[in-house]
Parts: sequence; C-alpha cells; structure tokens
Amino acid sequence: MTTAGRLTGPAPAPGAQSRVERASDSTLHRRPDAARSGRRRRRAVALLYLLPALLPYTLFAVLPLLHTAYLSLFDWDGVTLPSFVGLDNYGRIATDPQLRAAAWHAGALILFFSVLPICLGLVSAAIVSRRAGRRGTTLVRTVLFLPQVIPLVAVGILWRWVYAEDGTLNQALRAIGLGGLTDAWLGSFTWALPAVGLIGSWVVSGLCMVLFLSGTQRIDPEIYEAARMDGAGPVREFMAITVPLLRPEFAVALSITVIAALSSFDLIYITTGGGPGNSTVVPGILIYRLAFGGGAVGVASALAIVLTVVISLAVLVINRLSREAP
Amino acid sequence: MSPSPSSQSSLSRRTFLTATGVVGAAALTACSDLTPGASSSDKSSTGPVSTAIPADEKITLVVADADDTTMTPGLIAAFRKKHPNITVKRNYTGWDDYLKSINTTMSADSAPDIAQFTSGMQNLVPGRLLLKAGEYGKAYGWAEKFPGLDQITLTPDGKTVGTGDLYGVGAGLSFEGVYYNKSKAQKLGLTVPPATLDELEALFAKAKAAGETALVAGNLDGGLNHAFNVLLSAHLTPKDREAWAYGHQSATIVLPEAEKAAETLKRWVDEGYVTPKVNGVSDNDATAAFAKGEGVFRISGNWAAAAVAEGLGEGAGYFNMPPVTSGGKVRTTGAGVYYCVSSKSKNAAAAAAFLDFTAGAEAAAITAKAGFMAPDAGAMPSQSGLLGDVQKGWQTVVKDAGLQPFIQNSSSPTMGDTLTTQLQLLAGGKTTAEKFLAGLQTDFENYHK
Repeated sequence: MTTAGRLTGPAPAPGAQSRVERASDSTLHRRPDAARSGRRRRRAVALLYLLPALLPYTLFAVLPLLHTAYLSLFDWDGVTLPSFVGLDNYGRIATDPQLRAAAWHAGALILFFSVLPICLGLVSAAIVSRRAGRRGTTLVRTVLFLPQVIPLVAVGILWRWVYAEDGTLNQALRAIGLGGLTDAWLGSFTWALPAVGLIGSWVVSGLCMVLFLSGTQRIDPEIYEAARMDGAGPVREFMAITVPLLRPEFAVALSITVIAALSSFDLIYITTGGGPGNSTVVPGILIYRLAFGGGAVGVASALAIVLTVVISLAVLVINRLSREAP
Repeated sequence: MSPSPSSQSSLSRRTFLTATGVVGAAALTACSDLTPGASSSDKSSTGPVSTAIPADEKITLVVADADDTTMTPGLIAAFRKKHPNITVKRNYTGWDDYLKSINTTMSADSAPDIAQFTSGMQNLVPGRLLLKAGEYGKAYGWAEKFPGLDQITLTPDGKTVGTGDLYGVGAGLSFEGVYYNKSKAQKLGLTVPPATLDELEALFAKAKAAGETALVAGNLDGGLNHAFNVLLSAHLTPKDREAWAYGHQSATIVLPEAEKAAETLKRWVDEGYVTPKVNGVSDNDATAAFAKGEGVFRISGNWAAAAVAEGLGEGAGYFNMPPVTSGGKVRTTGAGVYYCVSSKSKNAAAAAAFLDFTAGAEAAAITAKAGFMAPDAGAMPSQSGLLGDVQKGWQTVVKDAGLQPFIQNSSSPTMGDTLTTQLQLLAGGKTTAEKFLAGLQTDFENYHK
C-alpha cells in the first residue's frame, strides 16, 4: 500500500481492527548481510507485485502532474500554439489580489472542513463507542456517515434548497419565531462562506467519527476498566485515555480534511460559483475559471502546482507533528 | 494488509520511486506533443464549394449544442427527413458545461461537424479549428437569408467581432424585453407600455408602494445582466456598444452613458424595486417565481416566453424595453443560436447544407415554436397570446435595427464571470457604478492588451 493510497483510500471499516501502519518509520536500517542475488530476486518479485498499482498511478497521477508543471511554463490558451514564458505565470500568481482572497477563503474553510468535524467526530465517536452493542448504535453510525456517501454535487444541490430564501432553514427560523434572522444565505456577502463551510462540516463529520470509532476499538478495554476503578467519569476517561490514544487517527483525519478544505471545488462550484462578488472564491474555482473559461491554461497550471505544493507541505507538517515521540 | 517485514517495505518504497521516475521521464521525452496546440497547416479555408450534397452516399453529421429548447432537435429531425442518406447525431450539453468544454471538444480529432457557437469560442479562430464559411455563404446567398451575421464574423486573431471572415449562421435569434403580470398591472392601475425608461421606473415605484416586488430578478448566477444589458442598450450609442461588445481595439465602457445605466440598476436595487436579497436567487428560480405569480415585471429574453405563458396564461403580457426619450428607436440586447462548422469535418458540404436549411420556411415554423425568432421573419406562423406579443415586439426591433450583442459574449472570454462578480458587488452595495464599470474595463484590457 502506498502512502498516497492510504490517505485517499476508503476509511477503515468500523469494527475492523485496523490501525494505521507506519512501517516505513522503522526501515532506515536494513539487514546488511542479505545475499546479493537473493536481494535482487526479491526486488524483481516486489516490482512485479507493485506493477498493477504502479502503472496506473504513474500514468494517471504522476505524469499528469509533471505535464501540468511543464504547461505552467507556457502562455497557452488551450487551442493555439503555446509560447514559452518561463516562470512568468508564477509571478502573475504572486501578485494577483483575487488569489490572495482565494487563499484566505481556503484557510477559513479549514476551520469548517477540519477543526469542526474533528471535534464533532470525536465527541460522537466517544458517545457511540460507550454505547457499543446497545440497540440503535449501528443506525446512528450509518446516519452520521451517510453524507460521506452522497456525491458532492448532489450535496450541493440539496443545500442550495436548504439555504434558499424559501428554503428549509428559513422556514425553520420562521416557524420558531426567528423570522427576522432569515437571509438568502448563499447570496449574502457575510454568510455565504460560513454557509458553504458548514456544508463541508456536515459532509466530513461522519467520516471523522468512523475514523475515531475504529481507533477507540483498538484501545485496550482494560485501560478503561482501570480508569473506572480509579473513579474516572466519562469526561475524564475521554480526555485522559481516548484523546491521547487516538493520535494516529488524528493525523489521518486532519490530513484528509485539510486536503478537502484546500482543494475544495465541487461544493462551491455548485452552491455559489465563487459569489457573491468574490466572497467564496477558492483556488480550485480560480483554476477552473482560468483554464476552461478564460483560456489561460498556463496560469491555471501554475496555480494548480502551487496548490499541490501547499497541500503536500501541509500534510507533511501534520504527519511530522503527529508522530509519537520515539 | 498485514504488517510487512521492514526490508520488503523499504524495497517497495525505493522501487516505487525509481520506477516512477524512470517511467515518467521516459514518457515525457517520448511524447513530443505535450502542448497540443493547433498545427500551422491551414485547413480552415475551403476551396471552391458547391451547394450539392451527394444523395447516394451515407453521411453522418455530429451536432454539439447547448440549446435546451426544442429548436435544435426539431431542426435536426426535419433535416434528416429531407435527406434520408444523412444521419445526424446530437450531443447536447448544459449551457455552463458547454461553455467550459467546447474548446477542448472542438480541438479533438473527433470534433463534431457542427457546433453551436458561443462566447469563448473565438479562441478557436486563431487555432483554425473553425471552417471559414464565406464561400458557402456566397454559394447559398446567406447574406440575404440571415440577419445578424456580423455576430459570427471574426478577425483572424478571433479577438474582434463584426469584421473578418464569416464562420457560421444564426438560426434562431433571441432578444430581451419586459414581461409583466397583466392582472396585477390592472389591479394596481399601471398603464403599460411605458413610453420612456423614466416611465418604466415610475411604474416600478408604484408597484413597490403597493407592496409588490416590482422587478423579479435573480443574481446568484449573475441574472441581473439582463437588466443591465438592456439598460446599456437604451443609454449607449450603438457604435460605442458594439465597439466594446465586439472587442474593438481601445474601446471603453467607462462612459457617462454606461454610468447612467449602472446607476439606474443600482438605484432599482437600492429603492427596493428588485427582488429582495437578489444575490441569493438564481435566474431560473426568478423566472419560475414570476411565472407562479410573484411580482409585476421581469426583464428577460424570449426564451422565457414559453415558461411565463404556461404559468400566467392569459395574465401574461410583454412589451419592448422603452427608449430613454419618448418616440426614440427601440434598442435591446439579443443573441441567438449560431451554428458553426468544424474545420476537421469530413462532410463540410452536408454541414453547410444543414446551416442553409435553418433559414428556410420549414425551419422557421420549428424555430418559432421553440420561442426563437426565425431568420425568415415572414415565414414564422403567427401566434396568439404572449408569444404573439413577443413576435410583434421582435418586428419592431427588426424595423428599428435595434438588436445589440450581449456585452459579455465576445468582449473577452472571461467577461461572463467578471460581469457576474461585479453585478453581485453592485447589487450587494459593495461597489459604486464607477468602480463597477472600471472592473469590467480591467478585464477587457487584460485580454485586449
């Protein structure tokens, strides 16, 4: 399993005793005494095993990435012959005020895509795991995980109805006598970004819960028993045992959700298209506009490369920080 | 996967990286066509052409379009009936997706023979991916058959519209005007049609005073561009309007008349004539709400006529956008469904025959039924009710030569997005009329520098 596969692959099924493997950490020192021929044969066999995954990965992930990097050095409208401009496109990105706004918005989305879902996921996982085996927990788990299963485009359309002027949210506000608070949420310069962000929270929270749930099942029940004997209540148990022991799951949840926040596109494209004004514009939307509408494939590619680098750095930092002390 | 012994895991990682690098580098050097721009060979020009299509040969034409009315499928069906040896396949894509994907589609080797021409496709002209249709135009006499051919005549760099080579025909034309709710207008004592823009605004004020939404609009996806475009049509001289909308060198929209148009729109929003929280309502939802009986007036195009007529029935009315001064010529904004031919088409003669077919009397009936104005206005079957009113309005527009292009269609490929953004800022009270126009001009100059 490759690192990339682990990050983007499906979440471990609830109940499976899976834990995140960090095999590569302990591989710095290899046995020096292995016979050379044996090693070579093993290498060939290993390569053969890797081929089915390596080939499509190279063809559909690595090469397009390299190609994008190559294209980012050109001024190209996508149709006529391109002209080489070196790093000019990167210069344009650095000075574009719209891009600065997009970067801010992506940052704000981390709050909604990462921080909020991880808190919610943690709490709901703690509640569900304490009630494991009782009736209804499977149902709760399924319901909370459901948003993750719906395609994001469908989620966007759904929430457009919720946030509409006559939508369910405003109807609910009017029903409880708070009609004065209603707004056309997606058209409001103040509320559009939080509104879109909350859709993200709704989608990702279930995933975080399932991640943490599988983590809690890994924790030895004896630790909890010991804590209970010492008189710890549910809150104390949660803070002193569950949270610290879920460190690997934190890393995975944070990685996945930060990637989702920074590379967000579909939700925003469907709900606001970046509006009103530029108040929900994110890098993904800009890349799309530049490449497909604006005929500026070079600048779009440069922006895509910068975004990829930023996301990779963020994930790298998250993984370094969350590593257990040796 | 069970935890693997450390040596194997290290091996896989190293192999992975090495192999990836090797394969990647090999593929990069092997592929000489990494930026597949158009080659220098010019296939977009035609030699001598004829209007004859072989009748004994099996021909397949592919049509790509974003026409969500019954026009394109209707025309295709009628054309197939007339030419049994020609099979026509239709690839329909929704409007937004069509705009974003058509350039790629037309660049592919499997490009459709005929495509609906939309904004942004001007990039295909310097890429020589569109067939120059001038020779067919001469052979068929299109100049007499089709109005509005200047909207699909482009310079070789594709940046300026109205001069250069002809690339297609406008099969169905659209234009904008004002729909109104007859029963509400009667109840509120509103006299329609207004003779001037000021009178229209006075009607808005009266409707607002009676507690009605005067002008139903949706700007979530930039729908206020309909109101802004027709206001510009009324205020701006046709020369200034076309120079900017067609992307002429050193054209500008920072003009006092344009500022008047922008200020009028801003005032309509500020005074509360326009649908409240307009930035949160989509254009389609606004039409739907108006058709359900909300509000009194709606500025939109003839494509909305069918939906409005169905919703309001006898209560649906229409009048042309009034001029600034009483008795002035009617000027409004419009476009149309334009078809162009791919330079990669192997059956250009058959494709040209389809383009020509859309000008005929048989096509006029199909086009009119779909709510568009047919090139041959005289051949359109007369209609009653709202569609009849719209048709009468069209005759006035043609008589006054008042059809002007949408400013976002060919001024620059990004103008659609920019206009939406700027209109949302204007309607949200985040910008002034002056800054609004400056924002549009900046986009224009970025493209035409």
